Amino acid sequence: MAAIELEGLTKEYGEVLANDDVTFDVERGEIFGYLGPNGAGKTTTIRTLLGLLSPTAGTARVLGQAITDEGQLLEAKRRLGYLPDNPAFDETATGREALELHASIKGDARSEELLELFDPPLDREVREYSRGNVQKLGLVATFMHDPDLVILDEPTSGLDPLLQQRFNEFVRAERDRGLTVFFSSHILSEVRKLCDRVGIIRDGRLVTVEPVESLLDRSGKFVRIHAAESIPKQAFEIDGIHGLEADASAGPNGGTEYVFTFTGDVNDLLERLRQYRLLDLSLEEAPLEEVFMRFYDGEEMDNDADSDRETRVVAGGTGGDDDV
Amino acid sequence: MFELTRYDARHRVRGSLYLSVGLSLLAAMVIWVYPSFKTEIDLDQLIAAYPEPIVQVMGVQTMASLGGFLSFELYTFGWIILLGLYLAYSTAGTIADDVDRGRMDMLLSLPISRRRLLGERFAAMAVPIVGANVLPPIVVSVGAHLIDEPLAATDVLAVHLLSIPYLFACAGIGLLASVGFDRAGIAQRVALGVTFALFLSESLLTGTDAEAVGAIAPMRYYDPNAILLEGTYNVADAGILVAMTVALFVAAQLWFTRVDIA
Repeated sequence: MAAIELEGLTKEYGEVLANDDVTFDVERGEIFGYLGPNGAGKTTTIRTLLGLLSPTAGTARVLGQAITDEGQLLEAKRRLGYLPDNPAFDETATGREALELHASIKGDARSEELLELFDPPLDREVREYSRGNVQKLGLVATFMHDPDLVILDEPTSGLDPLLQQRFNEFVRAERDRGLTVFFSSHILSEVRKLCDRVGIIRDGRLVTVEPVESLLDRSGKFVRIHAAESIPKQAFEIDGIHGLEADASAGPNGGTEYVFTFTGDVNDLLERLRQYRLLDLSLEEAPLEEVFMRFYDGEEMDNDADSDRETRVVAGGTGGDDDV
Repeated sequence: MFELTRYDARHRVRGSLYLSVGLSLLAAMVIWVYPSFKTEIDLDQLIAAYPEPIVQVMGVQTMASLGGFLSFELYTFGWIILLGLYLAYSTAGTIADDVDRGRMDMLLSLPISRRRLLGERFAAMAVPIVGANVLPPIVVSVGAHLIDEPLAATDVLAVHLLSIPYLFACAGIGLLASVGFDRAGIAQRVALGVTFALFLSESLLTGTDAEAVGAIAPMRYYDPNAILLEGTYNVADAGILVAMTVALFVAAQLWFTRVDIA
């Protein structure tokens, strides 16, 4: 039995389909990244799973319990941790009081240990907390009862890089202990570092679910060639070269630099380049941003009428905080 | 069970204490001015000088006894109007403010049903409701004794005890507003408006053809004059207030278990 099962989950707000027939499973013991630009419908899916919103159609199970049955969902919530995208606590309470309330209702197996890792100022009132401190308090509250499944909505927003790193290490260690993690993000590098599998959502529709490696494979390599003299264009006419750019005045030694993404067979490429004298050649894994772009580009070709919107979504997906 | 009630109750203790002290000061002041009022002013003439609607709205029956004076100066004004509005307002803030400020997501991620959450939050309103009635009866009894206008201790106790179901009914109005609106400010204004409108409908329509309209107002079922002047304690009316509270609470629960959390 999967930790989370979604079957045709649909949520409609008037005319807007925030989630449109979303179906996928999150397996036990994996870290699943739910990726999409802001406004794509990630939070809607998560809040529906938590029973905060009721689905217009379709259903879902969390830890085997139907989300539309409050009794069953309560059962699941005993073994579930949830961190909303904007966690909030009673502002007049101190951090300690807020945690005590959580502990009294769901139990506390490990808050002490968690407080060493994420150390919010417990004796100050929550109203004095910075965004990052609220996030730290939220993380402690999410994990304190040692849940089997955690659902995290943009968990690293507000955390400084050091804490992000600590959070990543912590989540990986928990996964190794058997924890299932479902988290959403619009930050691709974050997903790449953490996830086993990724689901990509756009405009409320699930675009794909696949292992991170296969996404990276599909994205191919980022190739940079520094040639002593210019290479004729037809040399690059092989399968798998995308976005070729040439710069004739590269570097102090002269020559021409070529940059492109390559999804074909590396041997074919090297075969072609043998006859030219290269000053330098580098092949790197393409950044996931590129993968993301490619995804949307692919969709764009399928659906020309939508191309304006697609471009905008890409910008939202890679740019950060603008809501689509 | 009742973890949330305990938590809320703890956070309401201090405010309730201030409330109790404030109302005690109001009680002390009213009692303090009464002797000079009584000797220097012809009280029947004073009542006659007030426009009829005011007399009716404030439930003024007589000023010739401390009981009658307290009944409108302290209990109609302080309890029926001020406390009634305060509890409607304050309760309207409970659920709506949690939703408004995004705390509800965190709360409902806990293994606690919406029904129970609402029940526990509402139960915690007992702290200000009961708390407001702790100090003032002592101040009233002692004060009355000091100015030589003693009141029956049972009457003083009854006027406070019977205010409790009344105040719960007002809190019930607030609770319904709190689940009906997900902006705390709107819920609170609606609760204030509705409670005040009910108060006016009851007091202004008494004795007119539209008197029946006032039957839905909790204010009809709490009458300090009857308690302090006649010593009648209408337990049936208190029962109606309890029934109103239960009805408002159940309606709020039904609503809250069905609605999407914004």
